[in-house]
Amino acid sequence: MNILGISCFYHDAAACLVKDGMLVAAVEEERFTRKKHDSSFPVNAVRYCLKEANLSIKDIDCICFYEKPFLKFERLLYQHIQMFPYSLPTFIRSVPAWINEKLRVPKIIRKKLRYQGNILFVDHHMAHAASSFLVSPFEEAAILTVDGVGEWTTTALGVGKGNDIVLLKDIRFPHSLGLLYSTITAYLGFSVNNSEYKVMGLSPYGNMNPKTNKYYTKLKEVIDIKEDGSYQFDMSYFVYHYKASMPSKKLCRLLDGPIRKAEAELTQRHQDIAAALQLVLEEAMTKMLNHLYSLTKVDNVVLAGGVALNSVYNGKILRNTPFKNIWIQPNATDGGASIGAAYYAYNTILDNKRNFVFDSPYLGPSYSDAEIKSYLDKNNIKYTAFKNDKEIVEKNAKLIYENNVLGWFQGRMEWGPRALGTRSILSNPCNTKMQEILNQKVKHREKFRPFAPVVCEDDALEYFDCDKPIPEPTDYMLMVYPVKKQWQKKIPAVTHVDGSGRLQTVRKGQNNLYYNLIKEFGKHSGVPILINTSFNIRGEPIVCTPHDAYKCMMGTGIDYLVMGRYLIKREDNPQHIWDSERFAND
Amino acid sequence: MALKKISKGVHAGFKEFGESINKIVNALLLSITYFVGVGSASAIAKLQKRKLLDLKTSKSKETYYQELMLSKKSKKDYYRQF
Repeated sequence: MNILGISCFYHDAAACLVKDGMLVAAVEEERFTRKKHDSSFPVNAVRYCLKEANLSIKDIDCICFYEKPFLKFERLLYQHIQMFPYSLPTFIRSVPAWINEKLRVPKIIRKKLRYQGNILFVDHHMAHAASSFLVSPFEEAAILTVDGVGEWTTTALGVGKGNDIVLLKDIRFPHSLGLLYSTITAYLGFSVNNSEYKVMGLSPYGNMNPKTNKYYTKLKEVIDIKEDGSYQFDMSYFVYHYKASMPSKKLCRLLDGPIRKAEAELTQRHQDIAAALQLVLEEAMTKMLNHLYSLTKVDNVVLAGGVALNSVYNGKILRNTPFKNIWIQPNATDGGASIGAAYYAYNTILDNKRNFVFDSPYLGPSYSDAEIKSYLDKNNIKYTAFKNDKEIVEKNAKLIYENNVLGWFQGRMEWGPRALGTRSILSNPCNTKMQEILNQKVKHREKFRPFAPVVCEDDALEYFDCDKPIPEPTDYMLMVYPVKKQWQKKIPAVTHVDGSGRLQTVRKGQNNLYYNLIKEFGKHSGVPILINTSFNIRGEPIVCTPHDAYKCMMGTGIDYLVMGRYLIKREDNPQHIWDSERFAND
Repeated sequence: MALKKISKGVHAGFKEFGESINKIVNALLLSITYFVGVGSASAIAKLQKRKLLDLKTSKSKETYYQELMLSKKSKKDYYRQF
């Protein structure tokens, strides 16, 4: 049985293919169209999934969509009716998209994919819940989904057992922790549905003491959190329910100033606001999880929805709640709900036994050495070839140790927003200037944002104060843990201002080349840790093809690119050098 | 060559003009729909004192959770978009 899962028309369109219960391919549309967070119908992603499984659309038994569009439209209409006449500009802006595509999902699917079979629609938060629980290693688990908004639900508490999921309670629009985070993200001058992680990264620079951070007290006027974690907003502080913007003038007054302009300086006030937001989020989440435990009495918990990407909080869950085990899918946001829709259909609606546990994020396209060589030759690119994996590991570990910035393009592309070692930029974390070098040469990102470390799982406890045993979401860069004090000065480029690191752990057998590279680097430096940052030009999605990777290297200051068994040196190909920063748009 | 350039320019100009007209007509029609459709629905809702969005804070509530109890439905329910 072949099932396609699809999510699109909001942000991060994606598709996945489940073949007899196995997840054989999953990819976001943005990787093909090169538009970050592309929401358009994922026709390229579907094509790739079919190609990977060697299937045609006629072989598909069922297509599952990640939400119920009419219910979402009902919510939208209610918003306009309630907020009449203030919502006119939003109505004019949003309704054409609904008429043209969002209310015509079956027609679009049939037309774009030439598909004649069944189409199923799964409630959005059920798709989120399924995307985490049904592919988790747990037979039974408590489930928490928190995102901006689905149809009506913004937060759901549930429980999964075997093939079944029950969502017990929810909180509904307009009250939404995800939208609160987005509102403050917008207030701080960052882009919504894109830069929430920047606010999370900014928070440790602020005052993280709730007793002395005045903005924490102020935000508590905006949100009332009950002991069971349920919450409600004072909606006079928001305008997102009837406008395209999010914070109201009243919220600006409360936070002592207007919305920050994107390029304006980040002051201590902004940092304290980010800290206060993180504190409020953590308080609500901890109370919710404690309540969820009291409802379910299950030791395992799975999370999904955009808020589940808050790795700073994720790293505290097992310490602050009674749960003993945690699991989060690497693509916890809307793109990942495509997996949830497909598995909900396969396991729950069609009642097939669960036979798959998600243990590898490498679900995207790969390119053979022959394809890479053909690309290099066709474009007159100078390169050298490695003899075998051993040479790839030894030579590249040395290059990184010598402070070169390396583009690492190997095997199948990662699923989800993080680069996890097949489309990564790697460099030396022991160099005190590496953060500056990377920012200057490649990433051009805000100075307050540290880079992420990657470490082999068997070394992680030596360097980081992780939960024991190390939870699997750490493999997907979803958990932030403190760097042990004695190592903080030795790996400054990956140690955040509060002494934490958003680490990725690599288990033996998960990605051998990557694992061996980290170990080999450790032989040179004495510290088996690398900097791992996403392989992309600022404002663009992570690279997908050899062309994307080469273009990215030549447009930035990446020194070397290793694609398959080929090594390309930037300096050897001066004819292709360009300046990506001239076109960058974050 | 020059004729081709002019023709391309004229075509692009007409396209832009068409798109602008399209936007204006769309905005006009949607405004009418908004004031007639949404406006009257809003008036009826206000007369009936129906609150379609939960905008008022009521801190006296013990909990803000709503019972959902969403679980597996019959297969035909999943064919529906609502």
